Amino acid sequence: MSRSTIRIWYLIHKWSSLVSTAFLLMLCVTGLPLIFHDEIDAAMGQDAQSGLAGAPSAEAGLPLDAMLAEALAARPGEVPLFMAFSQDSPLLTVTTGPQPDAADADMHLQFLDRASGAPLGPAPANPLLDFLLQLHTDMFLGLPGMLFLGTMGLAFLVALLSGTVLYTPFMRRLKFGTLRTRRSVRVKRLDRHNFIGIVILAWALVVGGTGAINAFADPLTDAWREGEVTRMTAAYAGHAPLAPDRYGSLDSAMRAAQQALPGRSPQFIGFPGGAWSTGHHYAIFFQGDTPATQHLLTPALVDARTGELTDARTMPPLNQALMLSKPLHFGDYGGLPLKLLWAVLTLATIWVLWTGLFLWLRRRGGQVERRVDEIALGAQRGQRL
Amino acid sequence: MSHRTRHNQGLAAIFGWPLLIGLATLAGLVIGLLDDGWPDGVAWLLVGLGPLIVGARLLRRSS
Repeated sequence: MSRSTIRIWYLIHKWSSLVSTAFLLMLCVTGLPLIFHDEIDAAMGQDAQSGLAGAPSAEAGLPLDAMLAEALAARPGEVPLFMAFSQDSPLLTVTTGPQPDAADADMHLQFLDRASGAPLGPAPANPLLDFLLQLHTDMFLGLPGMLFLGTMGLAFLVALLSGTVLYTPFMRRLKFGTLRTRRSVRVKRLDRHNFIGIVILAWALVVGGTGAINAFADPLTDAWREGEVTRMTAAYAGHAPLAPDRYGSLDSAMRAAQQALPGRSPQFIGFPGGAWSTGHHYAIFFQGDTPATQHLLTPALVDARTGELTDARTMPPLNQALMLSKPLHFGDYGGLPLKLLWAVLTLATIWVLWTGLFLWLRRRGGQVERRVDEIALGAQRGQRL
Repeated sequence: MSHRTRHNQGLAAIFGWPLLIGLATLAGLVIGLLDDGWPDGVAWLLVGLGPLIVGARLLRRSS
């Protein structure tokens, strides 16, 4: 590799890293506890599912109409907004609010046991994890923040690829895994940066890439949902929204939907008038039954008054691919050992970012040529650096 | 132990180990997605290979 080629890749590596490092460190630090959100919730006594025995609420239990009536009795004067199912336990979550298009802040979530019918009280919140998640997703800046972090994710990919290109000339005369510890601090740091960086490369590409995809995909998914729901219910355009006291049976709506989409498990129901439905429909969202397909949502729209199916459609392939990438970012699909590996790899990423930052901060002289020398000749002349 | 090679190495020698670790990681990530149960165990082994190699190398800090 010629010096001028190394120089170009060095500058790409330097700038893509410098631009994104601060944000990537924030993403790693906030992402670390988020890997263990289930375990943290459980440890803080907020795992309402663990003590419940019976069939998963997505599959069986008491009639949905009875569960909804119970939830509404606990919140007099409110209307139903969402009903969410569990794939693991009889836990059923019902969200209510003052009116069908209530804002998030006005919503009230309560847990119920679909096997016994017992109320389990208001759903506990975890303000710390919510805060971390928001910081990790959009830094409290909404869509612009999300797109910005997505762009930082793309810069991370560029840094990973350019770093891999520079690895080639640097390692020309060194064996894999060489860590020269008796030379200068700089050589030691450089060797570790390169060694750990190349080992975690594939994982970092996957998590960085799917993170960027998530950032850019959520707006696309919202657009699909809104557009598709509107198209599926074109016949209802212009009708006045259905009043909550005229909502029909949830159980017959669920039966109609499951007839159209056999073999799928319901994830949640959006009630009429909310952001996930129309003014006239129960929007029942079904999911797949493997870790790969559990983020693939298929909506069935059922007329909330008559209980008859209006339409059911699967996501277009692009959206499906985008949703498939979600678990690869979260790392929560393979039990606790995979989560621990995710944490170790995140710590390793922090280490590589940190050593990279210090290699830049503690550089000698201001000239790029010295860095190019270091890469081009570093393997031979390590002792002189 | 010498960490230096006598001759310039080709791409295959430089990227042999990294490629093996990278492919193991990718295979593990995808296999874990397929289902719960045995695929999870395979995923742990394959994804764990990289951290294992780093851990072993950092513990054995010679050269």
